[in-house]
Amino acid sequence: MPQLTYLEAIRQGIWEEMEKDPTVFCLGEDIGIYGGAFKVTDGFIDRFGPERVVDTPIAESAIVGAAFGASLTGMRPVAEFQFMDFIACAMNQISNMVAKTHYLWGAPAPLVLRGPSGGYVHGGPFHSQNPEMWFVHNPGLKVICPATPYDAKGLMKAAIRDNNPCIFLEHKYLYRRIKEEVPPDDYIVPLGKARIARAGRDLSIITYAALVHTALEAAGALSKEGIEIEILDLRTLAPLDQEAIVQTVRKTSKVIVLHEHSRTGGIAGEIAAIINERAFDDLDGPILRITGLDSAVPFSPPQEHHYLPQVADVIEQARKLKSY
Amino acid sequence: MNSLMSNHKNKPSPNGKRQHKSSTRTYSIPDYRLEVPDYIVRQVRSGDEFRYEVEGDLNTPVPPIRDSNYLSKQQCIEIYRYMLLNRRMETALENLYKQGKVVGGVYFGLGQEACSCASAYALDKDDWFAPMIRNQGSLLVRGFRASDTMMQYMAKAGSPTKGRDGTSHFGDIEKRNMVSPISMLGDLIPVLSGVALGARLQGRNIAVMTYIGDGGQSTGVTYEGINFAAVQNLGLVLFIESNLWAYSTPSEMQYRVKDLAERAIGYGIPGVIIDGTDACQVYDAAREAVERAHGGEGPTLIEAKMMRMKGHAIHDAADYVPKPLFDYWKKRDPITRFENYLVREKKWLSAKENADLIAEVERVIEEEREIAVNSPMPTPESAEGGVYCEDGCHVIKPKYGLPKVRTTKSSAGPKQTEAAVHLK
Repeated sequence: MPQLTYLEAIRQGIWEEMEKDPTVFCLGEDIGIYGGAFKVTDGFIDRFGPERVVDTPIAESAIVGAAFGASLTGMRPVAEFQFMDFIACAMNQISNMVAKTHYLWGAPAPLVLRGPSGGYVHGGPFHSQNPEMWFVHNPGLKVICPATPYDAKGLMKAAIRDNNPCIFLEHKYLYRRIKEEVPPDDYIVPLGKARIARAGRDLSIITYAALVHTALEAAGALSKEGIEIEILDLRTLAPLDQEAIVQTVRKTSKVIVLHEHSRTGGIAGEIAAIINERAFDDLDGPILRITGLDSAVPFSPPQEHHYLPQVADVIEQARKLKSY
Repeated sequence: MNSLMSNHKNKPSPNGKRQHKSSTRTYSIPDYRLEVPDYIVRQVRSGDEFRYEVEGDLNTPVPPIRDSNYLSKQQCIEIYRYMLLNRRMETALENLYKQGKVVGGVYFGLGQEACSCASAYALDKDDWFAPMIRNQGSLLVRGFRASDTMMQYMAKAGSPTKGRDGTSHFGDIEKRNMVSPISMLGDLIPVLSGVALGARLQGRNIAVMTYIGDGGQSTGVTYEGINFAAVQNLGLVLFIESNLWAYSTPSEMQYRVKDLAERAIGYGIPGVIIDGTDACQVYDAAREAVERAHGGEGPTLIEAKMMRMKGHAIHDAADYVPKPLFDYWKKRDPITRFENYLVREKKWLSAKENADLIAEVERVIEEEREIAVNSPMPTPESAEGGVYCEDGCHVIKPKYGLPKVRTTKSSAGPKQTEAAVHLK
């Protein structure tokens, strides 16, 4: 089986769907001859032509609007954001037009809005954000955050085939840093199903995207101390796999929620509430949060390092919770 | 109006050579009105208060209707009937509001019926449109019933959104090809452009019509949407309804150009000015723009001049509008003018036929009102569900046929370049 990077897996997922389904097309800034800022769509225009690989003006609202309009005619657009930070420019289209359309007037909007998110690359405040919660709080959207190449391809294909608007956040730190065997054939990873990235008995870390790898590294170190960590990779934040969350709490009784975005109003709060509602009696300790700070993502490497969760933070908090 | 769309001068020279000499470029915006109003509105201090004042010549005679180059007698009468339906429906809504049967407010298109009805009338069946709040007449032309809109206003279970939204906020992607508006202004423009893009990928050049006010056109997404349609050469037919008041703000405080049609020059697309109270001018401009769209010739901007003859919504008495302005535009009422044209000038309708037509419209509206009033309110539980398109809820397929895919053999798979990328 070929080894693919996270980025190559995403590329392959979109490519295969375009080969298979003529209603799939791409639009976005610099995605044609240039192949996109991160080269995800490199070579696409040569294969599929400028009709299906549409270079757009720098106009995020127009990109989302056009994708949505095309989806109403039965197309399946895949729109790229050069950085997910810029998706804020299109927030009205996404929140008020796209997300509400099925609930209000019964029109499905099968479109994918994808692009790089996340920190750890010194991108500064406008190239490092994790905007997933903006969308989790908009009923009608699906929010997808893959952690591995296998999942990235399978989730991308599932998102393209889904009949709902999907926000697909590609962690840019992972693009070229991780590699694994990815089947060259057609498979999907269903939306809304979390996975156990590591089984363990002592405590659970619930996380997703790049921090799955942070958690794995911490778990490796803690294992040497006899602390066995279970890691639940959520894969999608909407739908959120509540059942998997409850299962891991029942198993380990201790939970850390780990995420990159700011603490207040983050997914950790939501997960803690779900655990309170559904598995309170199974808890043997407080639910801990390891998160980004309540600030913008700072630029300078020492500041960014301080802002973002690190392996050492996870080890420290896990030890604390284990001994609770 | 034969030369309506030939104004676009920003083209390469006939010999195809680039001209490097500095030169003054000229553009023209055809103005098909038979009268160009001459007044301005401004803020003035009056004692301790500020108010709006109109200054200019408001005693000019009402211009005639411009004969259409395209409409038959029967088509004119049909448009006139839609305009009557539009107005009578809104009168019925006003009464329902006064009876406490409307949830929220009522928005009126009084004075704008020609623009709503004659524009939508120019669309073909496969074309798409999206109304703004005052284009309730467009919905009637496209085959929605008056009771649909009435039930929306009354938040009834039988309304197109089953109570989930009000006003003209509904749509139909199956039969009538209508995108639901949202309350934010300008967002429909890129959406409609995307509809045209989707259709083109399926091998069809369709026209996509939507509207924006002189207030709404100030939004950034308006620019993004028109520019996208222009760059992609999509069949957008955009009516800028210059109705002088954006809620309480006069157009003088909304933009600096003389006429909003001039914006078309900046987008590199044709723009025209018409009298929005003249159904024939509205239709002709719309039809020519629709034909351009069908021919793959790209977007058209049509500025329709008129006045919003009520407040922003029913709660708003519009007493900030100088009264002489209401008097001026009341004389230019689109229905009165069209009725005069059909009955007295053209004699296409006898007085009796006109009276019969009006009576028939009133009967229809009364029946529609009955249907709407008798629809039950939705159950509380019906607030739930439908957020997502679940399995089996919709079959999604290309509306105009499967896109013809053109793939080249030059590349067996995606490139695997490790070129210089941002933020590795």
